[in-house]
Amino acid sequence: MSVYKHEYRAYTGALTPLWSRVVVVVRYAIAEAWSSRITVALFILSMLPVVVYLVGIYLANNSLARAIIMRRDNGFEIGAGFFLNLLATQCWIALGISAWIAPRLVSFDLADNALPILLSHPISRFGYVMGKLIALLACLSPVTWIPCLLLFAYQGYSSAHPWFMANLRIAGGLLVGSLLWIAFLSILGLAISAWVKWRVVATGAIFAVVFVPAGIGGIITGVLRTRWGFLLNAPVMMTQLWQRLLGAPEMMRDQLHLPTVAILIVLTLVCGICVLMLNARIRGREVVRG
Amino acid sequence: MSVIKLDGLEVRLGGRIVLDGLAGEMRGKAIGLLGPNGAGKSTLINTLLGFHFPTRGSAHVFDMDTRRQRALIRQSVGYMPENDSFIGSMTGVRFVRYMAELAGLPAREALERAHEALFYVGLGEVRYRKINTYSLGMKQLIKLAQALAHGPRLLILDEPTNGLDPMARQRMIQTLQQIRKEGSIHLLISSHLLADIDQTCDEVLILKNGRIAALCNIEEERRSHRNFIELESAGPADEFCNSLRGLGCECASFADGRIKLVMPGGIESRDLYVIADQTGMQIRRMHRRRDSLEDIFMRAMEGEPERRELVRL
Repeated sequence: MSVYKHEYRAYTGALTPLWSRVVVVVRYAIAEAWSSRITVALFILSMLPVVVYLVGIYLANNSLARAIIMRRDNGFEIGAGFFLNLLATQCWIALGISAWIAPRLVSFDLADNALPILLSHPISRFGYVMGKLIALLACLSPVTWIPCLLLFAYQGYSSAHPWFMANLRIAGGLLVGSLLWIAFLSILGLAISAWVKWRVVATGAIFAVVFVPAGIGGIITGVLRTRWGFLLNAPVMMTQLWQRLLGAPEMMRDQLHLPTVAILIVLTLVCGICVLMLNARIRGREVVRG
Repeated sequence: MSVIKLDGLEVRLGGRIVLDGLAGEMRGKAIGLLGPNGAGKSTLINTLLGFHFPTRGSAHVFDMDTRRQRALIRQSVGYMPENDSFIGSMTGVRFVRYMAELAGLPAREALERAHEALFYVGLGEVRYRKINTYSLGMKQLIKLAQALAHGPRLLILDEPTNGLDPMARQRMIQTLQQIRKEGSIHLLISSHLLADIDQTCDEVLILKNGRIAALCNIEEERRSHRNFIELESAGPADEFCNSLRGLGCECASFADGRIKLVMPGGIESRDLYVIADQTGMQIRRMHRRRDSLEDIFMRAMEGEPERRELVRL
């Protein structure tokens, strides 16, 4: 084929390895996510708390600046509680960003029935979903664990005493807690986006899936006087998990504490349901039963 | 090497047998896939692409098993689905480039081939427009462009002229004829329109109720019936027929003067005029009938008896 001759010619060049087709999906998905100005605006907004916490670390480690700005030198300590607040703030912002981005990654493909063409190429359904998942994780990482760890490193650098080595658990907690949450959000976002055709509705549905069960869980806890209702409450559940990962003091009464195993089982169950939803929806061809 | 080889292929979907023991080998440059709705054409295409697994038997594309070598088959195949299938928010060139990269072309080559493919199918001028602004005909062409961009060995086209106006349809057929003529790509074209298959294909697979009703080379099929002649005559037809039978012709005469005959090799049309002259019969009209694809299709669909059985001998 030539632009000028308008004749077909076969392709005889080298081909990329099969595994790299997932990278193609990732690349195009990230480009799709960032093609929206709203994504850029959300990302900039997500950096505002980071700046606030950065100033907090600076003030905590600089008594002169603290005296000038706060006009009194009542120092505050940077510890697990500080980073727990940072992690929680960034993770809930990540929910908003994933609710915006996930539908863009999947709904466009499903709205115009692109899957038969996409999957007729040498990429499996697993590869396709994995590509979208990696793209979403890549978009959420700069909002969650990357700034958290950067602030942790800055605190370690700014601190006068050997703070860094003594608080490595916080760094591990920030990384694991963030990754757990964004992996959960990504798979949930993709599954819902695969089933809801309209992007705006899908965005709403992602919020609803997180917060509506939380309300129901609260009712169950209140009426039946049992802590197990909190297993439907993602904010409470995740806060307890993050507290334990970072070694921060727990804020709820002992009777309301959920076992870590129970939290992990719930997260795994939800992810399993999401995988089933994706398996049913991400297909090259519909099979009409009966 | 066979393009497609089916070996007792059975596919069940939703507990129902959709393809039932298909067996055959297709080697043609352009293979037509015909059959009424529900015959199993799309299921066969989806099985060849590895979307459905055979429940029994096997299917091979270029000697690659559709179950075990799906990725390799998809590498060698360009697929143009029947219904709308694209990413409407992308520009034409970006979509075709994306598909070419998925097929294994490096990014730079994919971009180059995307431009070329779009010019080739006639979408060069609109390649920077978003696909959801394209007309129906353009959407068909963008599907063709993405199927061609990575240089496949087999191009599978499911109803390529669906929804096209006569001009666009003619252009699509010309493009397919051009691709076939170029020679490096095999074509598998599924269509309801016999004329499309007739103009583009040299081999045809006709499906009926999930079974093969006919698998033949269109040209050979036509050649095998090339000696079938219909005459309109006046005069002693019986005497004429008797003379022809003496020469080994199969001949049948009808009350209205029509005569149908199948000539053996070695007898030419002018011999008929000589015999007619000898027997005092006038030949008023002679029609050498060639089998159309429609005849082949109708025979396959209706289980029509051989033509010889229709002729009173």
